[in-house]
Amino acid sequence: MMRKKWFTIPAASLALMMSIVGCSSGSGQVEDAKTAAEDNTPITIQYWHSHADTQIEALNYMIAEFHKKYPNITVEPVFQGAYTDLHKKLQAAVAAKEVPAVTNVEVSVLPTFADGGVFADMTPYIKRDNVDLNDFSKGMLQAYSYNNKQYGFPLIVSTSVMVYNKTMLDQLGVKPPQTWAEIEDFNKKVTLKENGKTTRYAFSVPGWDTWYYDPWVSNGGGSILSPDHKTTQLDQPDSLRWIQNFRKWMQDGSLQMGYGKGASDTMRQMFLDGKVAMVQHSSAIIKTYLENAKFEVGVSFIPGDKERKSHIGGAGIVIMDGAPEKQKEAAWKFVKFMTGAENNIKWAEGTGYLPTHKSVLNTDEGKKYFEKLPQYKAVFDNFDNVVGRPQHPAYPEFSKKYMEVVGKMILENADPVPLMKDAVKDMNAIIKDYQ
Amino acid sequence: MKVMDSRPVGTQQEAIRKSKRSRFRKLEALKDFSFALPALILLLVFIYYPMLNSFYLSFTNWNMTKPIKKFIGFDNYVYLFTSDTFYNVLRITFTYMILDVSITLVLGLLLALLFNSTSRFFNFLRTFIFMPHYISMVIVSMIFLWIFNGQYGLLNELLKLFGMEPVQWLTNPRTALWVLVVVSVWKGVGFTMIIFIAGLRSIPIEYYEASGLDGATKWTQLWHITLPLLSPTTLFLVITHFISSMQVFQSVDIMTNGGPLESTKAMVYWIYEMAFTEFKTGRASALVVIFFIIIILLTMLQMFISRKTVHYEG
Repeated sequence: MMRKKWFTIPAASLALMMSIVGCSSGSGQVEDAKTAAEDNTPITIQYWHSHADTQIEALNYMIAEFHKKYPNITVEPVFQGAYTDLHKKLQAAVAAKEVPAVTNVEVSVLPTFADGGVFADMTPYIKRDNVDLNDFSKGMLQAYSYNNKQYGFPLIVSTSVMVYNKTMLDQLGVKPPQTWAEIEDFNKKVTLKENGKTTRYAFSVPGWDTWYYDPWVSNGGGSILSPDHKTTQLDQPDSLRWIQNFRKWMQDGSLQMGYGKGASDTMRQMFLDGKVAMVQHSSAIIKTYLENAKFEVGVSFIPGDKERKSHIGGAGIVIMDGAPEKQKEAAWKFVKFMTGAENNIKWAEGTGYLPTHKSVLNTDEGKKYFEKLPQYKAVFDNFDNVVGRPQHPAYPEFSKKYMEVVGKMILENADPVPLMKDAVKDMNAIIKDYQ
Repeated sequence: MKVMDSRPVGTQQEAIRKSKRSRFRKLEALKDFSFALPALILLLVFIYYPMLNSFYLSFTNWNMTKPIKKFIGFDNYVYLFTSDTFYNVLRITFTYMILDVSITLVLGLLLALLFNSTSRFFNFLRTFIFMPHYISMVIVSMIFLWIFNGQYGLLNELLKLFGMEPVQWLTNPRTALWVLVVVSVWKGVGFTMIIFIAGLRSIPIEYYEASGLDGATKWTQLWHITLPLLSPTTLFLVITHFISSMQVFQSVDIMTNGGPLESTKAMVYWIYEMAFTEFKTGRASALVVIFFIIIILLTMLQMFISRKTVHYEG
C-alpha cells in the first residue's frame, strides 16, 4: 500500500516543476528575410509606448485608422511607464531576447541603444518604399540616425522654448529677447526687487536637465563635443560663455534656475503665480500652461547669439531588430502610418506635440491648426533650427558631470569656471573609457 | 524500520528483508526530497543562479545592450577601489545607516517603555504609531517629498507661521540626508516599538519586584535589568535594521535621485544608476559583490560583539 502512495508525490512535484518551466512563453523564431510587403496573413504586433493619458485618445484613433488601412495587422499598444521605465524594460527585453516589434525611444538614448545594435536599420525599408525624407525637418530626422543609418523616425517631437506671460510683458511694454544682447535690457525692465531680494524674476532656465542649457552652449559659439567626438570642449572660452552669463544674471537676481526633484513643478507654479515672467520649458507643456494660466501666454524661440538653435526632445518610433521578419514588416507599415504626412496634424493636435512634416504648413488642416494655436507658430517658423542633441553613447553618463557644475553654481553660488575645468577631466575619462 | 519477527530466519530471507528495508529507506528519502524540490528549484533559479551570474558578470564589461561580454579580469574592481565616488558613497551609506538605526532604536525603545501598559487607550495609540509600517515606502516618499518642498512644502509653511525662515530641505546638500533619515525613522519606529514591547513583556516581573525590595530606583532597574534582558531583542533589531538600512533605495530614488550634489547617493542607488542609466552592468555587478561582502563582514562583526554583550536567559 505504501508503494502505491509514494508514487503520487514525486509525480505531483514533477508536474509542478514542469508547469513552472512551461510558464515562460516561447520566443519567436527568426524567419528568413523575405520582403513580405504584399503578405496579407493576419499578424499581431506589440507597440511599447510612454504616451501620457492625454495622448491615449489620439493613439487609439490612429491605431483604429491603421487597422482600417491594413485589416490583417493588429497593433497591441502596451503602456510601459515614463521613458526611463520604458528603457529599462527594453533593456530587459533585449537581454531576454523577447522584444516587441515596435517601440518608442527617447531621443537622448538612441545612440546608446543603436550602438548596441538593438534597433533595425530602416534604410532598406525606406529605399524600397520610396519614403520622401526631405519633407521631414532635417534636424528631427538626424536625431534618429546614428553612424549614417536611419534607426527611427521622430514621433513625439518637442523642443525647448521660452514661454512668457504676454499680459505682463505687454503691460511693461517689453518684448521677449531674441538675442543675448537683448537679455540684459529685458532683465532690467522686468526684474522686481524688494530689500535686495527678488520678488519677480525676469526669466528662468531649468537646471535639472542638461537638455535646456545644451543649446545655449552652441548658441554662444562653443560646443560640447569635439568634431571627432573623442573629447569634450566645455572648458574652451567660447563654450563657457553661457554659464558665465547665467552666473552673472543669477547674481544680479534676474535669472532663476531650479534644481533637483520637484523643481519643475515649482517653476511652473512660480510662472502661473506671476513670480517669473518667462520660463524656458518644453513645447509639450505649452498646452498645460494655456489651460492653467489666468493670463495670455506667448511663446518665443530661445534667444541666440552666434547661432540660434534649440534641441529636439521627446521620443521617436523604432523597430526592434530582434523581432521576427514578418513582425518587422508589419511594424514598418505602422511606423510609416504613424509618422506620415497624412495624419501629421491630427496627431500633433491630439498629442500637443509638434508636426514633423514641412508640407503640412500649406494644407488647409495645417493652416487651421496654426490659427487655433498661434503659440506653436513661433516654433514652426524656426523648424530647421531645431536640431538633434549631441550624439554619443556615453552622453547619459558624462552629461551628469556638467550638470553637477550647474548644480553647485545654483545651490552654493560657486564659480563654475574652475569647476567646469575639473568636470572636463572626468568627462574625458568617461569618453575614453567608452572607446 | 524494525522488523518484529520471533521466528528463526534463514540467511536468504534475512538478505531479502534487509534489501527491502534499505530500498524502502531510499524511496522514503526520495519522497522527502521531492517534497522540497519545487522550493529548492525556485531558490536555485531566483536566488543562487543570479548571485553566481552577478559574480561572473563582475569580471566582464557587459553594457546590457550589446551581447558581447568580454572578460576583463579585475578591472572593474580596480576602478571601483580607486574611485573617489566609491568611498564617498560608502561614507554616505554608513552615515545614513548609523543615524537611521540608532535613532529608530532609541525612539522605539522609548515608545515601548511609555506605551507598554495594556490599557485600551494605549492599545489604540500603539496601533496608530504602527500604521506607517503598512504604507508603501514609495507612497511615504512621495508625500514627504511635498511636505519638505522648498517653495510650497507643508513644513516650511509651518515654520513661516512661527516666524522662522523656510529651509530648502531637499536642495541643500547639508539637510537632504537628514530628511531621508527622518522619513525612515517615521516609517520604522512603530515596528521597532512593537518588537521591543514583546521583549519587555518577556522579562519576568519578579526581577523588578526583587530589585524594588532591595531599594533599586527606576533608572537602576532600567539600566541593570531591562536593557540587559532586552539585549536579544535589541540584537535582532540592530541586525535586521542594519541590513535593510544599508540597502536604502526607494526614498533616495523618489526624493533626491542621489542629489543634491551627490550628498544622498547611497550604495544601492549608485548600483542602479550604474547598471541602468550608465549601462555599465558589468561594473555594477562588481559593486554588488563588494557591497555584499561588506554587509556580510559587518554582520559577522555584530554577531561576534554580541557574544560578550547579549545575555540570553537560561
